[in-house]
This record gives sequence, C-alpha cells and structure tokens, in this order.
Amino acid sequence: MKIHRVLTVFAVVLMIMAVNGKAQDNQAEELMKKAHLALFYAGDDGAAEVTMKIVNSKGKERLREFTMLRLDIAEGGKQDYYTYFKQPHDVSRLTFMVHKIPFETDNRWLYVPAVDLVKRISADDKNSSFVGSDFTYEDVSGRHWSEDNHTLLREDKLGDRDVYVVESIPKEEYKGFARKVTFIDKEYFLPLREEYYDKKGELERIFTAEKIENIEGIPTATLRRMENVQKNQYTTVEFTSIDYNIGMMEDIFTERYLKNPPREFIK
Amino acid sequence: MKRFFTEFAINHPWTVIVSVVLITAFFAAQLPNIKIDTDPENMLEADEPVRLFDHEVKETFSIYDFIAVGVVDEKGAFTKQQLTDVYNIIDEVADIDGVIADDILAPSMVDDIKQTDGILTVKTLLDEAPENDQQAQYILSRIKENPILRGKLASDDGKAIAMFIPIESKNMSHRIAGEIQEIIDRHSRGEEYFIAGLPVAEDSFGTEMFKQMAISAPLAGIIILLLMLMFFRNLKIVIAPMIVAVVSVIWAMGLLILTGNTVHIMSSMIPIFLIPIAVLNSIHIISEFHDRYQKYKHKKSTIKATIGDLFIPMLFTSVTTIVGFVSLALTPIPPVRVFGVFVAFGIFVAWFLSITFNPAYAVLISDKSLRKFGKADDEHGPLSRLMHVFRNFSARHYKGILFGSAVVVVVAAIGLSLIEVNDNPVKWFKRDHPLRIADVKLNQHLAGTYMNYLVFESDEPDAMKNPETLRYIEQMQRHLEKNRIVGSTTGLTDIVKKVRYELFDADPAMNAIPDNQDEVAQNLFLFEISGGNPDDLFKFVTQDYDKVNVWVQMREGDNNSVMSVVKDAETYFAENPPPTEMSMHWAGLPYVNVVWQEKMVGGMRSALLSSFAVVFIMMVFLFRSPLLGLISMLPLSITIMAIYGAIGYIGKPYDMPVAVLSSLTLGLSIDFAIHFIKRSKYIHEKTGDFKQTFPEMFEGLARAISRNVLVIAIGFVPMFFSSLVPYITVGSFFFAIMMVSGAVTMLLLPAIFIVSQKRLFPAMQVATAETKKEVVNE
Repeated sequence: MKIHRVLTVFAVVLMIMAVNGKAQDNQAEELMKKAHLALFYAGDDGAAEVTMKIVNSKGKERLREFTMLRLDIAEGGKQDYYTYFKQPHDVSRLTFMVHKIPFETDNRWLYVPAVDLVKRISADDKNSSFVGSDFTYEDVSGRHWSEDNHTLLREDKLGDRDVYVVESIPKEEYKGFARKVTFIDKEYFLPLREEYYDKKGELERIFTAEKIENIEGIPTATLRRMENVQKNQYTTVEFTSIDYNIGMMEDIFTERYLKNPPREFIK
Repeated sequence: MKRFFTEFAINHPWTVIVSVVLITAFFAAQLPNIKIDTDPENMLEADEPVRLFDHEVKETFSIYDFIAVGVVDEKGAFTKQQLTDVYNIIDEVADIDGVIADDILAPSMVDDIKQTDGILTVKTLLDEAPENDQQAQYILSRIKENPILRGKLASDDGKAIAMFIPIESKNMSHRIAGEIQEIIDRHSRGEEYFIAGLPVAEDSFGTEMFKQMAISAPLAGIIILLLMLMFFRNLKIVIAPMIVAVVSVIWAMGLLILTGNTVHIMSSMIPIFLIPIAVLNSIHIISEFHDRYQKYKHKKSTIKATIGDLFIPMLFTSVTTIVGFVSLALTPIPPVRVFGVFVAFGIFVAWFLSITFNPAYAVLISDKSLRKFGKADDEHGPLSRLMHVFRNFSARHYKGILFGSAVVVVVAAIGLSLIEVNDNPVKWFKRDHPLRIADVKLNQHLAGTYMNYLVFESDEPDAMKNPETLRYIEQMQRHLEKNRIVGSTTGLTDIVKKVRYELFDADPAMNAIPDNQDEVAQNLFLFEISGGNPDDLFKFVTQDYDKVNVWVQMREGDNNSVMSVVKDAETYFAENPPPTEMSMHWAGLPYVNVVWQEKMVGGMRSALLSSFAVVFIMMVFLFRSPLLGLISMLPLSITIMAIYGAIGYIGKPYDMPVAVLSSLTLGLSIDFAIHFIKRSKYIHEKTGDFKQTFPEMFEGLARAISRNVLVIAIGFVPMFFSSLVPYITVGSFFFAIMMVSGAVTMLLLPAIFIVSQKRLFPAMQVATAETKKEVVNE
C-alpha cells in the first residue's frame, strides 16, 4: 500500500515537472519571438542612415554607408528592404532590394549604376556574408523563432541589465550555427548579446547591442557589433537619423525604384 | 710539442681515458636537448629580404602553404561515386588539426559564380554530394567554365580531381599528409590518390632524413669496423678508431646542441661525415703500428715511432680537411655554416684523440693479445701484390700516366662546362618514392602543384581598380602562361571578368576588363553582395586595392624552371612599363628555393676557391718547397675535376649536396698526397737513394693509403641503396673521392717523382744507425 502511495506521489511530481518544463519552453520561445520582433520589426516601417565598419584581423578598416528602408508587410512575417549605397564612392548609387519571406527563399535585386543594369541575385544561402561584413544576410533580417528549439537557461545580469538567457538549437541541421545563446533584456526584450557556436561546439561569433536608444518611443539598438572570434575580425553597424512609422508604400520596393531611388526617403 | 701529448698519454693512459669518458659523458648529456629544424627555408638568414617578403605576402593576403591532393582515374573521375568520395574526404580533412578549413580549394569548398534563369549566384560549387553522374559531369563543366578554377580543381579531360589543402605551418605537413592518407585509405575503392606539394616534400624529407641518419651512420660504422678487422685481425685494436669516431661525433653534436644551434637537415649529416674522416688517421696509425710491431716487439717504442713519423702528416691532413670545412663558414647559408664549423671541430677532436686516446688505449692492451698482431705479414698479401702492380705500372708507364692525367684534365674540363645548377626538394626523393610519383602524376594532369605569387604594389589606394592597370596585369598573366611550365595564373582580373561575364548573361564579349573604373568596383561589390566570400577576394587583392597578388601555378619546381618564369616576368616588366607606377616582386616557396640556391652556388664557389688557396699555402709551408706544394695539389685538383666533370657528363644537377661536397672533396683528396709525399721524404731520408726510396713507397705507406681507400669507400657502399637521393650522393662522393684520389696519388705522384727525381729526391748521406739507435733506446 505504502509503495503505491509513494509511486502516485512520484508520478504527480513528474507530471508537474513535465508541465513546468513545457511551460518553460513556451516561455523561452515567447521570449525569442519578442526579441525577434523588437529587433527586426520595430514600428510598421523604418528608415535609417547606416554606417558599417568592417575591421579585419590586421586592424584594417573598410567603410560602407547606406540608407536603409524597411516596410513590414505583416508583423513577424513578410518584409521589404531597400538599401541605397553612398560609400565607398565607386559604388555610390548602387541599390539593393530584398523581399523577405519567412521559411522561403528571399527575392533579391541589385541595380548596377555603372552599366545601368538591374539584376536578380540568388538568395539561396542566407548564411553568406552581407556586403562583405561579419553579418550574414540572416543576421540583418532575422531568423524565424520557430526554426529552433529554445530553452530558458537562467535569468542573469549582463552588465547592469537584467536578462533572460535562452539557448537555441536548430530543429534541422543548419550551417549558420549549431547552438546559439541569447541574452534578452528583461525590460526592452532586445537581444543584448548572442553567442553563436559551431558544430565543434566552439564559439564562432558574438553579437552585441552596444548602444540602446529610445527613438520615437521605441527602444532601438543603434550600435551593433558582430565579432568573428575565430577569424579575429569584427563589423560594427551604426544607425542614425532613424525614423519610424513614416507611411512608406509597398510600391517603393519594386524594380522601378531601384534605378530611381525614392527621393522623399533618400537624400 | 710533437711528442708531448703522446708521451703524456703513454705515461698516464688512465688519466687520458677517464678524461675522455668524462668529457664524452658531458657532451652526451646535451644530446637529449636536441632541437630539430627541417625547414629548408632556414637555408636563408632569418632577415633575408626574399624570405621576409614571402612572409609578408602570405600575411597580407592570408595565404598558407598548400598540400596538393589528387585522384586520377583514366576512365574519368567525374562520376557520382568518385565525387562523393572526394566530398566525404574533404569533409573529414577539414577537421584535421592544422588545416585551414575555410581556405581549402576543393569542389565542395570553392564558390562558383554563375547565373541561372537570369539570377546571378555565387555559391559553393558542390554543396552536397552529387546524386548522379550527370550532376558530377555538370560540376566538371562548371570548373572548365571558370578561369579561377580551371586546371586547378580538375583536368579538362575530367580524368583528375585536385584538392589543395592549406596548412597553418609547413612543418606540420608530414603529419597532416599522413592523416590525409589515412582518411583517403578509408574512402578509396582502389583508385589512385596522390599527395604532393613542396611543403610535404620538404617536411617529409626532414623526417625521413633523420631516420636514414639512424641507419646510415651506424651501418657505415659497422662496415668500416668489419673491414678494419679484416685487415688487422684484432678486434681490440680496431675498436679504438671506432671509439675515436663515435666520441668525436658525440663531442661535435653535443657542442652544437649546447651552443643552442638547431639540428638542421645539413647538420644531421655531421655523423656520416665525421665517422670516416675520424677513422682515417687511426687507420694510418694502426697500419704503421701493425707493420712495425713485429719488428720492435716493444709496444711503447712502436707507438712513439709510429706517432713520431705520422705526427706531421696527420696534423696537416687534419688541418687541411678542417680548412675545407671551415671554409663553409664563408657561405651565406646559416645551416651550411653550422655544418662546416662543427664538422671541423669534430675533425679536430678526432685528430687530438688519435694522438692521445689511441696511444693510451694501445698501452693498456696486454702484450699477450698483441702477440700475433702484424704477424700475418702483409708483405706478401694480396694488398701488397696490388701495390706492387701500382709500383711496376708507374715505374714502367710514367709517361703514359702523365699523358693520361692531361687527357683526364681536358675531358673533365669539358664535363665541368656541362654542369647544370639546379635543385628541387621533391627530387631529393628517388623516382619510385610516392611523393615523386604524385609529383609527376598531378603535374601531368593539372595546372601544377608548385604555387608562386607575383605581387604588384602601388602607393595609391584603389590603384588596382584602374582598368588599364588590370589590363596590364592580365597581359602579364597571358605572357607568363606561354611558358611551358606555367599551368595557370589567377588574379583579380579573373574575378572581375568572370563576374562581368555572368552579369551580362554569359556574353563572351563581356569576358573582358571593363573600361570604367566604377564598373570594376561595382563588379567586385557584386561579387561580395551576391554571396561571394570576401576572404576569397582578399587572397588576390588588399582591402585598400593598392596591391594585387597573381597566383602563378607551375608544373615543375626545379629551380631552373621556376627561374625561367621569373625571368619571363622581369623581361616583360622591363620591356613593357606598367601604365601606372607600381613595383613587381615574387614570393612563394619555389621562388624562395631559387634564391637560396643562387646564394649557395656563389657562396660555395668562393668557399672552394679560398680553401684551395689556403691549402696550397699550407702545402708550400709543409714541404718547404713551392714545387712540392704545387705537386701535392695535383691529385686533389684532378680528383675534383674528374668527379665534377663526371657529374657534368652524367647530367646530375649541381644541387645542395653536390655543392657542399666540394669542400669534403678538397679536404679529403689532399690527405693521401700529404701522406705520400711527406712519408716518401722520410723514407728517402733513410735510404738516401731514389732507387731504394721508390719501391719502399709501395710497401707500408701504400698499404696504409690503400687500406684507407678500401675501408672508407666500401663503408659507404650501403648508402648507394638509400631512399634519399642526397644520401646516395654523399655515399657516392665518399666512394669516388677515395677511389679517384687514392689511384691518382699512387699513380701520378710516383710518375712525377720519377720524372723529376733529381730535384725532389737528390742522393744524400744517411744516418741510418742513429735513427735506429734512437728508436731502440726508447
């Protein structure tokens, strides 16, 4: 009899633990979703001047300046990006457009001003470098939270900020990383730090949100850094002149505007 | 002075032996601290500009040395099965410690630029194993379409696939090549895989060399010991020279390690050089002791008389050999300098031990065990009979000998003019060595396993985006490709052209450098934005676009072949000045080898000439006669000419070992002449009559020389069968030096003596009784 009772108690405890665990997983995924939306879907649209600095292992810097426009078609879903390059000088007026479709291959177009030509370019590999930087295309537009299994590891402090620490493991084998650890700010839900581990389990890249500013009531990571610790090089991206909810229309993000940038958004 | 050391040794044998044991123990204790350095690049000074530039280029463009791996299938290598194997092999190779996985050049690792359905793509050529043979064939067609990959990754006929594995450091290549071989063995289904490349050859050579060392030196030692035993039939006696040889090797190597020098490929040869040279003096001593002991029947006085007669010749033969090796210190090649100095030190030790340790050791041998020593009288043995043949021949045909020598000199001079200076570390292995076979196979099918870099530098940032500059470099590339050994050249030009060609829907007219600088820049930007790896780009150009690096792939690594391409570039550059100001320099391992070879040839020439001069002056001093000095130089001159003339006729390239051996040839070939002339004079002092002197020269003296010839020459015969060519070379040289200089000495010198006997051996009064008395009294 006694044994029976003990077993019952044990079974109940196990059930509670399982539910709790499930709840924790749900919480972890919820956190990742919030972080994803906070970082990649701020406002309904946005425009910013971007300065990108690519620093190689020898300390050599390369600079890129561009205007970036973004329109969210659906929150957490389709997005359009438009990039107008200003620096380096010999690629100025070059424009680049992406139609991002979660779970599918993006569509990308490029306008080459020197030959006045618009070209579709392949988007097969989301892990390739974004314009030669340490950021990949996916780092720029985000990886959908449902593609990974998430676990809340702990609650912690990062500097003076309270954070959730979430571990993500891709559901299917993935070239980008084998494991990722994200530090999510408890107040803003922005990822403050992300650690990418390769298949050997070694740390490969570290993302950090170096500066958070309140822009039109939206907490925004205005200085971002991606370091490749294995190659000993890094890239910083600084956002200025940020403007949210300016009422962009979808027709800007068409081939026509690649050749003739929309002057109201691009100075 | 002359007698001091020997007297001391005879009177205090235990002091000498204990001291030798203690000092030897001290030096032996240094041996475990050995630091091995197998990098031929260290043939150049650490601050040698060419070497620094090579490192700078590798650093600037993040280039590593490559191991080349290839598979050849005459039925066609681009099949589903074969390409899958290659895919899986590379997957595992990428994980080897020391392999720069990101920079591997292989179908599954490189990017292809192409466009399909109007979409431009830069993506991995073979991102997953092929599903069928058609896909495999498609990969081959992509490689052929891409000037950056063509010839590198596949032969146009599709019979060969190649992979280039970059490694962190050259001296890992032997280990990594071994691990690659292991992976291949697990995947291969019997196809022929090959591993090649200069780094593997160099590193493997170092490893195999030390193994050879452990076999060759002791083996030569044992054979020398057996031969001595055959001649002198007393193990207790003949063990002494071996002790001297081993002790001098231990002292020399111990001091080398103690002074912080690394044991380089060159210095690993110290034992093999020292053992025979160290034995030479001892053989003369034993030979003389052997011939005299039964006459005197008194150990100590025999020793004294022997050393007394041999002291001066031995001193001079040792010093001349030392001079030959010390002259290597004049070469601009650090490991050769270290080698020369420490061999010289070892020879000095051997000389000193032979006049101290040998007598001390001999004193301690019981008279009982010496009872039969020298009894089996050699005066009627086969060696004696051979010497009498020499005696009779030179007496009868001295004119013929002189004429023959003149003919040899003329014929050899023609041979000398045929000598071709050339070297290639891959050819340090025999033809049937897997590395040689791999070298032949891969270079026959592909664009080449020897990678050199031609770097153009400007002071202006973005200079290399200038279309005119790019076109100039492109023309240079086409010019170099006309050279038979250049398999392919790859540069920034090829990336710009390829992107443009694909951007304009594979329009052949667009496969050219554009006219507009912005278009160049935008093509390159296009490469990066469409998924191209920026790291790939910066192997060909700096981020500032002020320097470009053209990869020049060669099918041959011989210094002469590499040099012909270097000259092509220099001539073109001189005749066609670049449109904008820029400089041009070469880098890469094969090129570095060319530079040290040139330094070595020049350095060896001056070393040989200066030691020749020093030895000549010493000979004049030794014989107190310019004429005799001159005569004594004849056998060595003829030996050097004959040997190097033969090298010219055979067509063996004058490479590093051959160059270094010239000092050995000089140092050793003079020895017999010194003994022959000096001791002939001693004999003449006793006889006073050339008619008596002449036959006497062909007794004990000639026997000692011929024993030396046979012991050393035969001792090196096993080296003919070494798997490493430089060892064969060293073995053959010892053999040839001994045979030729022995023969020349015992034919030419007697012939000259006969011709000018009145001047060289005037009749004189002799004090025979006194000499005898002196010996007996002691």
